Formats: sequence, structure tokens, C-alpha cells
Amino acid sequence: MKRWTVFKAVFVKALIEMRRYLFNTVTGLITMYIVFLILFFGARTFGGSVMQAGDTLEGLVIGYLVWLFAIVAYQDLAWGVSTEAEIGTLEQLYLTPAGFAWVNGSFLVARFVTNLAMMTVMLLAIILTTGYRLNLDLVSLLPLILITILAPYGFGFLMGGLALVFKRIQNSFQILQFVFVAFIMVPINQYVWARYLPLSLGNHLLRKVMVEGYRLWELPAGDLATAVGVGLAYLLLGVAAFGYCVNVARDRGLMGHY
Amino acid sequence: MALHFSPPVLEIRGLTKTFPRRGKRPPVTAVDKVDLTLEAGEVVGLLGPNGAGKTTTIKCVLGLIRPTAGDIRVCGWDVRTHHHKAIEHASAVLEGARNIYWRMTPRENARFFAGLHGLDHRAHRVYIEELLERFGLADRGDEPVINLSTGMKQKVAVICALVKKTSLVFLDEPTLGLDIETSLELRGLLRELARETRRTIVVSSHDMDVIQDVCERVVILKEGRVVADDRVHSLLALFRTRAYRVVLSDGLAGELVERLARTVSGLSVTPRGERTELEFELPAAERLYEVIDIIREGGAVIETITQKEPDLEEAFLRVINDVAPEGGVEA
Repeated sequence: MKRWTVFKAVFVKALIEMRRYLFNTVTGLITMYIVFLILFFGARTFGGSVMQAGDTLEGLVIGYLVWLFAIVAYQDLAWGVSTEAEIGTLEQLYLTPAGFAWVNGSFLVARFVTNLAMMTVMLLAIILTTGYRLNLDLVSLLPLILITILAPYGFGFLMGGLALVFKRIQNSFQILQFVFVAFIMVPINQYVWARYLPLSLGNHLLRKVMVEGYRLWELPAGDLATAVGVGLAYLLLGVAAFGYCVNVARDRGLMGHY
Repeated sequence: MALHFSPPVLEIRGLTKTFPRRGKRPPVTAVDKVDLTLEAGEVVGLLGPNGAGKTTTIKCVLGLIRPTAGDIRVCGWDVRTHHHKAIEHASAVLEGARNIYWRMTPRENARFFAGLHGLDHRAHRVYIEELLERFGLADRGDEPVINLSTGMKQKVAVICALVKKTSLVFLDEPTLGLDIETSLELRGLLRELARETRRTIVVSSHDMDVIQDVCERVVILKEGRVVADDRVHSLLALFRTRAYRVVLSDGLAGELVERLARTVSGLSVTPRGERTELEFELPAAERLYEVIDIIREGGAVIETITQKEPDLEEAFLRVINDVAPEGGVEA
């Protein structure tokens, strides 16, 4: 009950902040859309030279959306921790009977919901612009999106933990963004090991649903189980790293520093 | 009849915190074997010069800093092993931090921090409104904090600590940066709250007036150790017994000044027109007779003898400078 109350408080705060920073939210959305247009029309014009066999423009659309979801997922916590440290409220977030990890987890869930809303707007804008008809079977898509972004959330916890200790780690965000592109683009049919990378298998399954019209229960059970296992493994590793970094920050007295 | 044992609100035993430093430099000991027990309803001032270990002690109690050694219990809960339980009973306004969200309104902040503590803001609506009213913020409760004055922002931070209804409240430099009027107002509010609720309030401040005005007990830290722990009035009384001001109706010969200087300590001689004002301290109260004898032998006439009323700042400086009062200070 107490944890539910804490979750609600964090959720409401995230909504209030989103409303207060509405201009920032909208410009972010517009920027992402413009980047997509450049990518999409670039790929359509020079498709033959940059796209590998088997890739389609529909695949590009899905890959871009998964990538966007992944980068906001892993950046949210690190940005959140940096910002809270900067404005001087981070230590207060630690003073909760529900635990610091619960507060951060609640924050991520709140951000997932708001990100999902933003991505839906983005997807609709993309469909209208490109004229592609993607299969938007929400019953199959929502669980798959969740499974796919478990790993980026694991990276989010890791980066959040590093932000607690080192505060300014924004430069490493950019490197990870490119690494994520590689994870999404790697052909998993060609390389078996690629199934164990973050995002790769999830992106492959999402593409099957959105382009090829598969339902969730029609996907290979082994693939689904692997995607869940891989996602959970990265998430748990991230949470463990976060816990370790919290203790390092407490040992060094860094929780309130910026 | 059943006996109910309530553990102290705060119990610290042997608290030590050392911070490692880069290279081969030795670690810094910020807090060194601190023992402290606070009971319900106490209002305690935590004093000490910069780097004395006040904030580190507070943050160790809150679990924000992990101690190197020692035990801390809040309402009986071990902070190290049961942080979630311990923190149910503690809240804080921390120095040098905003503590609250400036983009949110005072009402939104109060609701959020109540919720963060697991208290449903709807069930605590009346209390939130009462606090806003009492701190004079009810009319501006829906305005973003960023638009409020420094004093109002600080009040919102205090409200957000109080709204959690914890047994133990830390206020680290609550009046820092406030103008005199707002500082006096906040001190009044803290006194009222301490009197009305049975909360244990720990006020850490450089402003001695705040401590003297609000607290009944004072703990002085120096270089990470507790060097004094006493009631404010007892601490003042310890120094009151030995500081004197004597006004003579005329001047005082140089030879007598030398004799006096050998008998008393800290002698200052200030001519005031035809009169002379002497200020000094005595190692023991009965030595005042010796001083009177010296003055009489010198042919001077005593107009008045008054015991100087030391304020907390003076007492603090004496303790920090290792000037032991008569009878010593409990440590």
C-alpha cells in the first residue's frame, strides 16, 4: 500500500513536470520526426547502396522507433539522476521508506507511459507521411515493446548509477546511441550470438508483427523466451550495478554533490 | 500495569566516518566516535565550526552517507540494516540543497513529499493546508515555487519535511540566507511546532541566535568529536559565573592594573570619561574578593559590579577554543 502511494506520487510528479516542460517535450518530438524524415527519404533515394538485402523501408521505420524508445529508456534515469542532483533534490528521493530503487523504478514506469504516448504520436505521424500501412496489433505489440526495452532499461540503471558517482556522463550517452544502432541492425538470422545482444531479437520480433502480420502467440516460443530472458538478464545486471553505485556514492558522500 | 519501553528517537554509538583521499594522502576523519542520544520532544541545536562533522553526522543518520563504524538507531531501527523502517521516522531539510521542486507549486511539493513518504495526500489534505496556512503560504500555494521569495522557498522546504509527520526532523541551516525578519518569523514557527508536537527537532546552524532562541539542548562538535552536550541554559550558566564587569568612579594606577592582570584572566581596562570599566574572568567565583581587595588597596571606588551575561556565541567560542568553564562541560 505504502509502495503504491509512493508510485502514485512519483507518477503524478512526472506528469506535472512533463506539463511544465511542455515546450521541451514538443520540440523533442518535432526533432525526432525531422531526423526520421531525413533518414527515410535518404534511404529511399540511396536505398540500394545503404540498405542490406532483406531490409525494407518498413524495417527502417520500426528500427527507428525501437531505437528511439531504447535511447529515451536508457537516458531517462541517468538524466533524471543528474537533474535531481543538479537541482538539489536527489537526497530527498533517497529518504523514502519505499527505497531508492523503488522510486527510480516508479519514475521509469511513469516515463515509459509518457514515452509510449509520444511514440504513438510519432508513429501516427510517420504512417501519415510515408503512407506505409503497419500492423498496429496492440495486444501483440505492447508486450513485445516491453520485452525489447528491458535491456535498455538495464543500461538506464547502469548509467543512472554512474551518474550518481560521476554526475556528468552525458558524453557516454552519444556513444551508446551508436552502439544501439548496431544492436538493432545486426542480422540475427545470420549470426546466432546476436540473439543475446540487447534489442536485436526484440527488434526482429517486432518487425515480424508489424510488417509480416504475425500475432504474439504465433511467434516461435523459443524466440520469445530468449527475448524475455535476455531482457531480464540485462535489466537485473543494470539494477545490480545501480545498487553498487548507490553504495559507492554513499561511501564517498556523493549523493548530494553535483 | 503494563510497562511500555520506548527506544530513544535517536541513538548514536561510536559513529565514525572517514573519507579516503586520492593518492597516498591519509584519509580524512569527518566524524570521530560520536555518541548521542535524543529523546522524544527534544529540540537540540547542533553546533560546530565548518568541517566539524555536523552535516556528515546528519547524513549518516539519514543513510545518505555510509558510516565507517558505529551504530545508529532511529526509533529503535538500525539505519544500516533497516533503513526503510528507520527513515519512516526521519525527515530533513538539508543545507546547500534546494530540497524542493521549484517548477512545482508549494501544494504540489507538499503532496509529493507526503506521497514519497507513503502518506496519501488526500488523507493528509487538512494537515497540508494547516501547514501552508501556518507558514503564511496558503494564498500562494498554487504558484510555482520559483516565483516565491528566498524566505518562502525555505518555508516550503520546511513544510515538505514536516508534512511527513516523522518523530525526528533535521533542519540543517534552516535560516541561512534569510533576512532578519524572515529568520525571526521562522524561528517563532519552529518554537511553536516544537512545543505543540512531540517531535524531536535537530537544528544545525552557524547562527547562535537561532539555536539559543529555538533549542533547549545544544551539542557542540569540533573536529568530528562531541566537545559539549548540555542544556543551553546550563551551558550559559557555566560561563556566567566567572565573567565580570566592574565600573570604577575614577582611574586606576598602572601598578594596580598589573596586579589585577596577575589575578584575573582576560582583563580589559577601558576609560569611560572619568570612570574606568574593567572586564575580566575569574578561575573561581570566590576570587572576586581578591579583586575587590586589590581595588580597595589602590584607593579606587567601585560604582558597580555586574556579572556579564554570556550569550551562546561566547560559550560556543570558549568551548571550541578549549577554554574549560568552572566545573567542566559534559562531553
